[in-house]
Amino acid sequence: MIGVGLIVLVLAAVMVVAVIEAVRRRRLSEGWALLWITVAVAAVVLAMARPLVDRLATRLDVAYGTSLVFAIGIVFLVVVCINLSMQVSRLNQRVERLAQELALATEQRTGDGIAEQAPESPGDPGSSPG
Amino acid sequence: MDRYRDAVNSDLLAVVPALNEEASVGDVVASIRAELGADVLVVDDGSTDDTAQRALAAGATVVRHPFNLGVGAAMRTGFCHADRHGYKVLVQIDADGQHPPGEVAPLVEMVRRGDAGGPVSVAVGSRFAGGSGDPYEVSALRRAAMRMLSRSVSRRLGTTITDTTSGMRAFGPDAIDRFAVSYPTAYLSDTVEALLLAGAWGMRVVEVGVEMRPRETGVPSNRSVRSAYHLLRLMFVISVFGVRRPLQRTGL
Repeated sequence: MIGVGLIVLVLAAVMVVAVIEAVRRRRLSEGWALLWITVAVAAVVLAMARPLVDRLATRLDVAYGTSLVFAIGIVFLVVVCINLSMQVSRLNQRVERLAQELALATEQRTGDGIAEQAPESPGDPGSSPG
Repeated sequence: MDRYRDAVNSDLLAVVPALNEEASVGDVVASIRAELGADVLVVDDGSTDDTAQRALAAGATVVRHPFNLGVGAAMRTGFCHADRHGYKVLVQIDADGQHPPGEVAPLVEMVRRGDAGGPVSVAVGSRFAGGSGDPYEVSALRRAAMRMLSRSVSRRLGTTITDTTSGMRAFGPDAIDRFAVSYPTAYLSDTVEALLLAGAWGMRVVEVGVEMRPRETGVPSNRSVRSAYHLLRLMFVISVFGVRRPLQRTGL
């Protein structure tokens, strides 16, 4: 039916516009934009090629063509999520490293206003209790 | 904004991005200082070997990234340094010895004096224009891709650039000022997109034929997938070029 194909086409077009707008505002890197535009195009292709999907489903012993599309979609999203998890892990490590380098680079010494750590003998004036 | 306007010894800064090049960086720094009389900044992009120490010993100023960021980011660091210290000309030279300083001198002169057409902001050293053909074993596919890129860039700039991915380039003060903020950091973008940016800013980009020494180390394996992806990404960048918001100067 034309209905589904048209809906997918409109949604995919909206998605592509949103992605390009995000790139324009420098909120999305071009590499990721490429990925999501490809996904939008793939969605349109799959929606238009229903008989092909059904045939592939039967070949793979899957009951419905729609089940195959869902399966592919879910696997794809899981792979993307795992990749994103790895990127977040890497970013965290880098941020931690950066914070440490910054702390070391702005090291402060006595006389800069930080309290002395050396223990004072009881007779010293101004020594704090405990 | 706090920018130091003191040029140290020269108005020319040679930026040498380096990643684990301890074997060659010392010689490269020494030859640059001897043949070009330039100040040398080695940007150590997360080396795990003695690159920084060897560079320091050879007389370079060294800046170290805490982790690897890529050549483009290293060059942006170099541009920031040049901008802060008031250098008039910046030249990019590889740490592996592929860029002989003698070949770089005409690029520097071009940026300093300009040519018949007027002042020059970016001078690109091309392996393919007038030099003795290329000593690189470049696959036919790669050559076709590079030719397509150079055609696309040449058309947009209005001048002929045959070697768009060349890393041997000289930049004038206006380019230094803008690239300190906007130099592209992604692979392939740092070379090709930088030229497009210069053109979009109304700067003149001129090409000069140079000879480069062949790389001594072996050809890295499995680069083709990565290169193909970056080529596609770059083509996307070119198609949305001019639509993106310009980067802002922030921080120090």
